[in-house]
Amino acid sequence: MKQGILKIVIIGMVGLSQTVAADSFTDEDINKSFYPYNDWTPTADGYTPGMVIDQSNADQFQAILDEAMFRFVKDGWVTLRTAPTTDFPLSEDYVEATRQYAGDVSLAENGTLNNFVAGRAYPQEPNPDDPQAGQKLVWNYQYGFNSGDSETIYPFWWTFRNVKTGKVERQLKFEWHFLNFNHRVTFDPKPAYEENPGAIYRGIYGIVKEPFDLANTQILIHRYQDDTKRDNAWLYVGFQRRVRRLAAGQITDAFLGSDLMIEDFEGYNGKVTDYTWEYAGTRNLLLPFYYHNDMELADVPEKDPDGYKFIDVEGQGNCFPKVTYQLRKSFTLVGKPKDPNHPIGKRVINLDSQTMTMASLVTYDRKGDMWKWFPIGKAHSDHHLPVNEGKGVALDDYAVVIDVQANHCTTLQFKSQVTDDVNQPNLFSVQNLRKVGR
Amino acid sequence: MNLKSTSHFTAMQFVLACIVATLLFLPAAYAQEDVEFRGFIENATFVRTHGVGLTKSRTTLQLELSKAWNPSGLFSEFSFSGTFRGSYDAVYDFNDTTFGKNSGRSVHFPAPGNPSFFSFLVDGNPFNPPPFPPSVDPVYAGIFPPPIANGAIPLPGTGGNISSGNPNEGLGLLGEDVHNFENGGVVLAYPTRPCNIDSRGCIDGYMDDTLSDLRYQEFNGRWDFLRELYVDAAIPFDSGSELGFRIGRQQVVWGRTDLFRVLDVINPVDFSRHNIYDELEDIRIPMGIFNMEYRLGAKGPFEDLNFQGIYKFENFRPNELGQGGEPYAILGAGNFFRAMKNCWDNGCTVWNFPVTGVAVEFPTQSLGIRQANMSDAKDSHDWGFRMEGVIKGVGFSLNYLRYTSQMPSLRGGIDSDNPFTPGVESQFHPYALAFDIDFPRLSMVGASADFYLESVKSAFRVEVAYTSGEEFPNTLEERLFSESNVVRWVIGIDRPTFIPFLNKNRAFLLSLQVFGQHLLDHELQRINAQGIPTLSNVGMVDWKNNYIATFLFQGNYMNDRLTPQILTAWDFKAGSGTIAPSVDWKINNNWRLTAVINFKVGDGALAFDDNRAANPYPPFTCAPPLAAAGSPICGVPYSSLGASGFEPIGRFRSGPIGMAINEDEYQLTLRYRF
Repeated sequence: MKQGILKIVIIGMVGLSQTVAADSFTDEDINKSFYPYNDWTPTADGYTPGMVIDQSNADQFQAILDEAMFRFVKDGWVTLRTAPTTDFPLSEDYVEATRQYAGDVSLAENGTLNNFVAGRAYPQEPNPDDPQAGQKLVWNYQYGFNSGDSETIYPFWWTFRNVKTGKVERQLKFEWHFLNFNHRVTFDPKPAYEENPGAIYRGIYGIVKEPFDLANTQILIHRYQDDTKRDNAWLYVGFQRRVRRLAAGQITDAFLGSDLMIEDFEGYNGKVTDYTWEYAGTRNLLLPFYYHNDMELADVPEKDPDGYKFIDVEGQGNCFPKVTYQLRKSFTLVGKPKDPNHPIGKRVINLDSQTMTMASLVTYDRKGDMWKWFPIGKAHSDHHLPVNEGKGVALDDYAVVIDVQANHCTTLQFKSQVTDDVNQPNLFSVQNLRKVGR
Repeated sequence: MNLKSTSHFTAMQFVLACIVATLLFLPAAYAQEDVEFRGFIENATFVRTHGVGLTKSRTTLQLELSKAWNPSGLFSEFSFSGTFRGSYDAVYDFNDTTFGKNSGRSVHFPAPGNPSFFSFLVDGNPFNPPPFPPSVDPVYAGIFPPPIANGAIPLPGTGGNISSGNPNEGLGLLGEDVHNFENGGVVLAYPTRPCNIDSRGCIDGYMDDTLSDLRYQEFNGRWDFLRELYVDAAIPFDSGSELGFRIGRQQVVWGRTDLFRVLDVINPVDFSRHNIYDELEDIRIPMGIFNMEYRLGAKGPFEDLNFQGIYKFENFRPNELGQGGEPYAILGAGNFFRAMKNCWDNGCTVWNFPVTGVAVEFPTQSLGIRQANMSDAKDSHDWGFRMEGVIKGVGFSLNYLRYTSQMPSLRGGIDSDNPFTPGVESQFHPYALAFDIDFPRLSMVGASADFYLESVKSAFRVEVAYTSGEEFPNTLEERLFSESNVVRWVIGIDRPTFIPFLNKNRAFLLSLQVFGQHLLDHELQRINAQGIPTLSNVGMVDWKNNYIATFLFQGNYMNDRLTPQILTAWDFKAGSGTIAPSVDWKINNNWRLTAVINFKVGDGALAFDDNRAANPYPPFTCAPPLAAAGSPICGVPYSSLGASGFEPIGRFRSGPIGMAINEDEYQLTLRYRF
């Protein structure tokens, strides 16, 4: 009997050694993670919300600008208009799921998560002494509430521009859909679709509406629950009238000629386990978080039949959004690809601490030179389309990828809707590509 | 092709009327959704080397329209789509001396063997002096009444004269664009002008295009300008599955292959637009199809599972091969058919028949193609089903199709005249080159799959089809054709690959495909059907096993606005290939310019048994050595003894690339999209 018990203990200890134990958390952790501005406002020397930061005072505020933003402001490419810090609360469903499930989550030896169901995996403040801090942060991002359980972006305009001249070289109009098959907190079924034989975590479906030569091109990506499993991707090519299986491993390829790699989607669209992740500190940064309806909007690229207006563009090459920036607490996450042939040397992701969304990304090439800047403008869901009110999502509203080496940018203008009206699993099937295609 | 009868059109007209009625009388409760409209206008100008000149100057206007409704009630989705295309090819005006109303010429060839052969015909002794002076330059299809010397030798069945309705003008020599007749095989001539200018050799209901049909390809009796026109609808079920319908003129694409059609055989193809080199989307001929799909979505172990049934209600259409005289006649088949049809209708001169150096005139209704049996085919309707899905990350399909072959079969054994005897016999002559064109009924079973292998960072696709009922020329058979079951397969590998010194930011697409075709009932041997040793292989001209490989190397620059690529293909058995470098430049969202150079390399024309040495008309066609020996076999029909040449069926060995060996072209296409 004693030997049996000893065996069980030994086996249990061995089992424990394969994972990093689950972290405990408190209500204070929850409040600090999800409601950091309840009783605190970030500050910086000399900074006053509402002021303008431009070429003349960029040096003074270098500490609250990410490295690429500082360079652009200093070079006179853009002038920043600031605004007070505001609360961007996530859905209470997501917060409650964190309370319910986060205590059981642990890191496996291979860097994946054990026992994750829904919510924020690690609501605790990252600990600089924790060698796993970066890994934990990236899982917070990967399973964040970036677009809720389900989102449609239509129209979604991608404009290719010459940074030096501002010339518009090409413009693509998309319709995109995103669906979480599991880890769902808002839309039924929660927390997951029962019928999911492929163990898909997330589906991404996009269709090109314009220009004519690409119209009806569709892409479907399946991201799996098992992070070590490569995504599957399919492309419906209109002029071939059939679905092509994509070599999904080539995610460092530019997508349809844009300045985005497939790996860049939503900030980072690869396997967590493809990179090593390091927590590089907490900073207060000026990030593009704003109320969409209060911004200077425009009918370009196209007058929307619903009356919706897009974030307008300005600055060098018309690559920058006409939005205000607010000082927000952010976690800096540095990712380095494990593949020695990867063209990127490192990704510096600035995660907004409240929403755990990627507010800005600076990539460096293998030589260590700055390569691309990719900020994503976040709109408060209560100050956007009526359908988004109360959804508790920091909506992707505007983005740009500036390739500083090629002097080229791709601007992304969104009309985002957090809805499950059409986003059902069948939309994210290979057969749907054939059904829609003609 | 001209529409000779409206009866076969009724089903399509009915469906079109239903579509129009549906659009007009939809319930007002259906809220109208967005309407999509787009199109393009383009000019494609192609120039061929080897002195041919302009082969295409086609201006095309294409419009695409789709309208979706938000229905209530039974349907969850309802939409209408249409594609309309019209074009004008000016090659028939700008280069009308090569293609068009002034094309062709008088043809001439020497026949030094004529004098002794004529003597042989007169009294059986080739060594007697002929009853006419030796001819030096006989005129094809000329009038040859003795004692006039010029002209080929009329076989006795002509009654001494060839048909006066078959003058020596507006002609080309079969295969002259591919070979120089250096192997001494048979030579035929074919009329080259559009059928309303010169109706010789035109095949009713199959290859009978007028100048207007050729210029304005879509504006024909089949309403091809209504390229696609269909309605889509879906009925949802509580389980989450749905029943989808697409009814109308459409393309239904099976398979996962580029360029090759293994499973992708539901729609016929128009090869006359640009041989095999245009995108299949542009050259498939949309057909009226009832297309139903039961989409289950994720079910059991399947991540995606669907069942499809199709029924082609529009009457049969064959592949467009290009008629004699068109710039693009795949395999030269259209030229061959036109030559043979002219022979049947009007009689014709055949050079190097029965032996090299002799030219004879065949009477009408002895040699050639009598007709294309379109009426048999037109009332046949194709149907099939497919199970398709994804399981464990592997996409797959299982397919079955019962359909009428879109490629023609030359079926010999029709009643014909003996050209060596006067009078009209009209009877079956075994091994006689007298054919109808038929389209046999086929059954196809197939499967396909695609998957991704992380270890090689490549996407793989495979496809296989087993077809029964296909017919192939076979010189061992009395009717000169036989059936064979066929297996076709293709393996494709796609690998985006970074080549940093060429492009740091964008991967190159490397795409390799290998295609195989195997005739399971193939016959090829060195003895004829009666056991007599032959001079060369006799039997089926098509290769028993053949392989074709294609390789695409494609890059992208300037944010995918500049796409250079090299496409290569190699036909292993034919020993011929093509290399096609090109650049596609998207000038802006509207304008696009594509430049292509298309080279062919390799062996070109290949020879095969041409049936000259068969004995369909005993004793007249008995081989001289056998006749001289007094062999009793001379008195009965026997199959070919293997005299060979490039014509007429060596083309099936050469393949589409080999037969286009001299069709090197420079191509420029400018498109405006809106």
